[in-house]
Amino acid sequence: MKFIIRAVQQALANLLRNKIVNSLCLGIIAFTLLVPGIFNYISFNLERYINKLSENVEAIFYIKDDSDGSAIEKLMQRIQANLLVKEVGFTSKNDAETNFSREFPELKYILDEFKNSPFPASIDVKFLANARNLIQVESFIRDIRTAPAIESVQLNLEWARKIAMIKKFTSFVGFSLSAILLIVSIFIIFNVVKINIFYRRDELTIFRLVGASNWYIKTPFLIEGCVLGFLGGLLADGLLLVTIKAFPLYAKFVFNIVKQLIDFKQLPLKIFWQLLITGTAIGLLSSFLSIRRFLKNIPG
Amino acid sequence: MIQFFHVSKQYFCSEALSDINLAIGRGEFVFLTGASGAGKSTLLKLIYKEEEPSKGQILINSVNSTLIPPNKLYKLRRQIGIVFQDFKLLMNRTVHENVAIPLLVRGEKQAVVEKKVNNALALVGLTFRKRYLTAHISGGEQQRVAIARAVIGNPKILIADEPTGNLDTKLSIEIIKIFEKINANGITTIIATHDLNLISLFPRRIIKLDKGQLVQDKKIEANQ
Repeated sequence: MKFIIRAVQQALANLLRNKIVNSLCLGIIAFTLLVPGIFNYISFNLERYINKLSENVEAIFYIKDDSDGSAIEKLMQRIQANLLVKEVGFTSKNDAETNFSREFPELKYILDEFKNSPFPASIDVKFLANARNLIQVESFIRDIRTAPAIESVQLNLEWARKIAMIKKFTSFVGFSLSAILLIVSIFIIFNVVKINIFYRRDELTIFRLVGASNWYIKTPFLIEGCVLGFLGGLLADGLLLVTIKAFPLYAKFVFNIVKQLIDFKQLPLKIFWQLLITGTAIGLLSSFLSIRRFLKNIPG
Repeated sequence: MIQFFHVSKQYFCSEALSDINLAIGRGEFVFLTGASGAGKSTLLKLIYKEEEPSKGQILINSVNSTLIPPNKLYKLRRQIGIVFQDFKLLMNRTVHENVAIPLLVRGEKQAVVEKKVNNALALVGLTFRKRYLTAHISGGEQQRVAIARAVIGNPKILIADEPTGNLDTKLSIEIIKIFEKINANGITTIIATHDLNLISLFPRRIIKLDKGQLVQDKKIEANQ
C-alpha cells in the first residue's frame, strides 16, 4: 500500500513538475482521440439508423392465380418457420383490389373494366431488423421463389445493400483512422514519459545503484502514463460533447440530411467509456514501453 | 566474500582488466591502488555489476554475479554500499533525503528511516547538517553524506571509489578513519585510491593494478 501511495505521489509530482510538456501532451492525446471519437460517433449513429431502416426489409411473393389454398398455406408455414422472418401476411386478390382502391381512389374507375380483381394474391414477408442477414435474406428469397405457387417476387433490398456498403465503408475508415491515430498517441505519450524520465535520470540511476527494484522505478511512470491517457480521454470526451452540441448550430441548413441521420443530442455512454479506456490503455502501454527502454539503457 | 576468477574486461579495442584473480575475505579492509586508468573503477564496477566481465567469473557471497538477471540485480545491490567518485548525490534534496534513499527504495517505515538516518549521520559527524540542501554544504561534507548513504542499508560490502580525491590530507585522513570505524563492524571495505601517502598512514592490505593487471597484493603490517 505504501509502495502504491509513494508511486502515485511520485507520478503526480512528475505531472506537476513538467506542466507545459504534460499540458501539450494532454492536448495532443485529446485531439488524436477526438478524431476517431467523432468517426465512431458518426458510425454509431449510422449503424443505429441502418438498423432502424432494416426493420422495413420486406418481400412480396405474388401467387399464381391457379394455386390452391393448401399449397399457399404450406408455403406460408415454410416461410414463417425461417428464423430471419419477423412477420408473414397474406393478401388475397380481393384485398389487393381494396387496397388499390383505398390508396388510389382517383384510379378506381380502371378497376370497373375488370370483372374479377386483376391483382394477384400475395404473401407479404417482413424480415427481422439485422442488416447483416441480407445475404441470408436474399438466399432465402431465391429459395422460396422456386416454389410452384410463386409467380414473381418483389423486394426492397437495393437500398439495404447500399446502406450495408456504407456501413462497411464507415467501419473500415473508422477502424483505419483510429488505428493510425492511436499509434500517434502511443508515440506521443512514449516521448513525454521519456522526457520525464530524462529529467529524473540521475535520480533513477542512483535509485538503481542503491538497490531499487525495477518495479519501484517503473510504477510511478506507469501511473503517470495512465493518468495522462485517462485525462486525455476525458478531455476528448468533453471536446466530442462540445462538437456534438455545436455541430447542429453551424450546420443547421447545410447538413440537413446528415442531421436526420445523426442524433446530435447526447454522447453515447459506449463512446464515452471507449475514449476513457482507450486513453488509459494507450497511456499505460506507451509509458511501459518508454520505461522499459530506459531501464535497458540506464547506466548501472 | 568476493572472488575473481580469470576476470577480464574489454572496452572496444582496449583491455581495462586482464585475467584478474583475487579473493577478498569477509570483514577485510582493502586499498585498491594504481595510477589513473589502471582499472580500479572498472574492478569496483564489476563487483556491484554496473559492468559485466568480458571473461571470467565473479562470486559475491558465493553467488556467481554474472548469472544474476537484471530484475534480481537489486538483491545484490542491497548487499553493497557504494561511495561514488562523483558522489552521485541529489543536489536539490536535503542531506536527510539523500541519506534516506536506500531505505526508501526498500519500503522501510518512516520511523525506522528516521532512526537509521540519524545514526548514519552521527557516524559521519553530520547530524547538524541534516536539514541542509546538499548543494549548500562543502565538498568534504558531501563526501560524508555519500558515505552515510552507503552504510545506511547495513551492507555486507562497502566500496568507495576515490573517496578522498578532492579532499585535503587532513580531511582525507578523517574520511579513512570513518571507513575504519565502519569496517570495525565487520563490513568488508574496499577503497580505491591513487594516494599512496594516504595508504601509507593506514597499514592494510593493498591490491595494486597497473594497466589492467594485478601487479601487487600485499598486506602492510602496522610497524612497517
